[in-house]
Amino acid sequence: MNSLALVRAHARVGFLDLIRWPGYVVPTVVFPAMFYVLFDLPFARRSVPIADATALAFIVFAIAGVTFYQFGVGIAQERGRPWERYIRTLPAPASVRFAARIGVALAFGIMTASLVALTARAFTPIDLSISQWLRVFVYCLAGGVPFVLIGISLGYWVSARAAVPIATALNLLLAYAGGLWMPPSDLPRFVAAISPYLPTREFAELLWSVAGSGETLRPLFGLAAYAALFGIAATVGYRRDERKRYA
Amino acid sequence: MQETVLTFVDVAKSYGDVRALHSLSVAVQRDEIVALLGPNGAGKTTALEIALGLRAADGGRVRLFGGSPQSAATRRRLGATPQETGFPDMLRVEEIAAFVAEHYPSHAPIGATLERFGLAELAKRRAQTLSGGESRRLALALAFIGDPEFVVLDEPTTGLDVESRRRLWEVVRNLGSRRSILFTTHYLEEAEALATRILVLDRGQLLFDGAPRTLRGLIGGRRLSYVGADGPVSVTTQDADAYIRAMVNGAVVFSDLEIVRPSLEEAFLTLTGGSQ
Repeated sequence: MNSLALVRAHARVGFLDLIRWPGYVVPTVVFPAMFYVLFDLPFARRSVPIADATALAFIVFAIAGVTFYQFGVGIAQERGRPWERYIRTLPAPASVRFAARIGVALAFGIMTASLVALTARAFTPIDLSISQWLRVFVYCLAGGVPFVLIGISLGYWVSARAAVPIATALNLLLAYAGGLWMPPSDLPRFVAAISPYLPTREFAELLWSVAGSGETLRPLFGLAAYAALFGIAATVGYRRDERKRYA
Repeated sequence: MQETVLTFVDVAKSYGDVRALHSLSVAVQRDEIVALLGPNGAGKTTALEIALGLRAADGGRVRLFGGSPQSAATRRRLGATPQETGFPDMLRVEEIAAFVAEHYPSHAPIGATLERFGLAELAKRRAQTLSGGESRRLALALAFIGDPEFVVLDEPTTGLDVESRRRLWEVVRNLGSRRSILFTTHYLEEAEALATRILVLDRGQLLFDGAPRTLRGLIGGRRLSYVGADGPVSVTTQDADAYIRAMVNGAVVFSDLEIVRPSLEEAFLTLTGGSQ
């Protein structure tokens, strides 16, 4: 049995179990596009730069939400379940389960972000070329990494019950303070002061650089630093849980 | 020719200060159906978890088909039941079955396996709508769906009524004819109905290892209770037939006569009595 087929099987099961939950699909997949329509569309129609910036900001919001829910809430809720324990007795290595989880997150991430992008294309003068969209896609994969690791850390350090409220609060706070919902210059002064150091802001700066404003390298370094930090937190959390449950 | 499926040599396991397994040495041979019995906290679950590769032993040697149970390649010859019955709510029965089957290179036909366990009509149902008994049947079907050489069942029929339990024994017996099975149970009756060999575990140590008939001989007594001339009487005897014959011949007054087999708990007490 080749492991690619197994990854596909695990990802399929994970995807189907989620896509059939309206309680998951609506908040993760639909909310970003919905918020975008409600809050930003009126401004986004004014000019091309605003249209570009707001759509890209909401793509960051979309990806942050999916990773927090998929990894944070998903891991926190599943790690204690009998099904998870059963899956470990099947002839599949841990890498297969992990790769499948990343695949499912990727699928939901693309769906969620595409919904925002398509809404922007339909209702605003957004002006990004195919090659710019391709860069957005690649940057999303790179920028998503620290968010995946924040999600995994959350999943292993937070209880199943606390995971949903904490992931939601974190998602909304980071979106607001990271300047995803309004131009960073409009943020209250004390929020504006910390905003440039938040991962959501770094991610947004990275995508904004595609539309020609700001630099690429600085936010990439910032995101790499977050990835390193939460890479450690995720690894320690994972080992701790493995020791407790399966040593 | 005998092939060893699972080997435990001096296997020890502790959780903090609690010793779950002392120095367990036991082997399951090809085509054996082995029942693992023991009171709660005896170490049954720990032994099973080690055999399934879920946990590593602290000491000793564990071999599954000559390899480590913690390697996925070794587990390709192993099938197990999910403990309890927590399936992903939104998946259909056939989707869960197909998912598990995909892990095994030469799995059994999915439809036929579902049919065997009376799940054919439930194939399109979502897991969350299954009753307790239906979930149990699905759990059992999953253990066999890969057509593995070795099957491990954790309390296969707990919570089922007598009728469905008997039916499942029949299915398991048929499926067990060319493979090895190791299962835990709380029912002595289940062990006797299915097993070719019984292991009794108590406080992490093997207390009994032998044929069901031998175990029955050790704990074969019956408890008789009746209302006699001076009120309720309860006696334990090795030969209930002879006891009753003597009562009738001796014209003993009795009513409400009941003959009860000792429960597994009482059997354990008999077995562990010497070592207390």
